[in-house]
Amino acid sequence: MSATSSAINPKGPRTETATANPIAWVCDYLCSSVGQKVLVAITGTLLVTFVLFHMIGNLKMFAGPESINKYAYFLKHDLGAMIWIARGGLLGCFLLHLTLALWLKSRATAARPIGYAYGGNAQATPASKTMMQTGLVVGVFVLFHLAHYTFGTVHGVPSPDGKGETNYLDLQYKMPDGKMVHNVYAMVVAGFSTPWISLVYLLCQIVLFVHLSHGIQSAFQTLGLVNRRFVKVARALGVGIAGAIVAGNFAIVIAIWGGWVK
Amino acid sequence: MKFTLHIWRQPGPEARGQMMTYRIDGITGDMSFLEMIDVLNERLIKDGIEPVAFDHDCREGICGSCSMMINGLAHGPERGATTCQLHMRSFRDGDEIYIEPWRAKAFPVLRDLVVDRSAFDRIVQSGGYVNVNTGGAPDGNSLPIPKADADKAMDAAQCIGCGACAAACPNASAMLFVAAKVGHLGSMPQGQAEQSARVRTMIATHDREGFGHCTNIGECEAACPKEISTEFIAGLNRDYIASAVKSAVKGEARGGF
Ligand code: HEM
Ligand code: FES
Repeated sequence: MSATSSAINPKGPRTETATANPIAWVCDYLCSSVGQKVLVAITGTLLVTFVLFHMIGNLKMFAGPESINKYAYFLKHDLGAMIWIARGGLLGCFLLHLTLALWLKSRATAARPIGYAYGGNAQATPASKTMMQTGLVVGVFVLFHLAHYTFGTVHGVPSPDGKGETNYLDLQYKMPDGKMVHNVYAMVVAGFSTPWISLVYLLCQIVLFVHLSHGIQSAFQTLGLVNRRFVKVARALGVGIAGAIVAGNFAIVIAIWGGWVK
Repeated sequence: MKFTLHIWRQPGPEARGQMMTYRIDGITGDMSFLEMIDVLNERLIKDGIEPVAFDHDCREGICGSCSMMINGLAHGPERGATTCQLHMRSFRDGDEIYIEPWRAKAFPVLRDLVVDRSAFDRIVQSGGYVNVNTGGAPDGNSLPIPKADADKAMDAAQCIGCGACAAACPNASAMLFVAAKVGHLGSMPQGQAEQSARVRTMIATHDREGFGHCTNIGECEAACPKEISTEFIAGLNRDYIASAVKSAVKGEARGGF
């Protein structure tokens, strides 16, 4: 710009308007109740996808020690940086899901400061009204599950000589090619041979089923993917996927607890 | 028929309220719920007690004024009926009936069962209309509209703005109301033009008024005297996502309204 210009509206860089502001878009769309609910649904769906594949992978327990130990080794060592990207993504989804759900819930509670003296229900399912409680139980369970199998701080395997315990993470397995890998198989067997641990897992799986039996069909509705024709299909899909996840995980725990898988 | 009524009494917006119990007899099954309260009020007036204030206008199920929570259900137990279209034959002789105003932060109680529903007016003012230039009326058939679309628009347009959806929702969300308005206008070509801005502005006002969010529980649909389906909420969400994507990708103007 020339210093001597006396233009009233001088030429120069493009002037910014509200429409050119990306932050305004975020505030407009992602801070509204619908926008945040959509984010809860997207993160919930990603978590469901993870949990589903996690369960399918765990079914390798039935294929014997070599199969699951090889799979675990692959996930931990052969994926390289990918595993950290996946873990970061999962953690992000988990935290976003949790924070937004709790934030929306606090707003909803504030939306009815005085409740009804006579409570009534016309068609609400118990699962739909307890998403927060079931969600929090699932959240605490995830922390427990990580402490138990990922960090090995909950429980150890008693040594054969009866003195002391071996940490889960120190269990070793010799692959046919002679390589020593972490013995995930023995770790899982040790875990579910302990009745109280099995019980915690089974109960939390039921709670997860309740969360997902409403959650999955609700996500379809939140993402605008249903209409009067397919709402029943979405409901069936929700119960079906939630049921499959829980049935698969149940099978592993019960098979070990009952002594069928040793 | 005889009834024991527990009614919320609150003398004014700032006053403290409480449930009061009244016994009433001489009611016939053919009386509407509002007529039953009329009978109670005449008796209260004779006894020198302030009558129960409640909203009502058409008494034929089309204006949406007669809002009250009856035994925990908006507009009482009958499907697809407003309180004025609810008859006392829907109750058993000797029943206890709890009558409360709509409960939501966005619907402050003015007196007894009367709440201020102007939050709904402000939601409609923020986009629940179609901008048309005045001028000569266009030919009736110049804009072809498939019958199915017209039917869908009519399904949503049945909304009488009574507020039962927000009153019945455990989150005090008025999403079914907004979805009905958005679905009604968006089903027609005249309303499509502004749909993208409409969903954003109406939801923004909905949130600002202090209503909660939708968790797809479905109580609203059961409460709605016009039986408007939550399918329209799915449609609203779809339009909202489309609006967000359009605005992000095409940099669509924020204005419009
Ligand atoms: C930290 C633990 C969790 C908490 C506190 C939590 C809480 C919630 C809440 C309160 C809702 C209802 C949101 C609303 O409608 O406003 C919800 C929805 C949902 N949750 Fe979770 N949740 C948790 C973990 C999970 C996990 C691990 C999964 C998947 C395996 C999951 C899947 C879903 C799905 C699919 C929805 C439905 C989204 C929708 O309604 O559109 N949640 N969660
Ligand atoms: S008084 Fe008009 S709908 Fe009931």
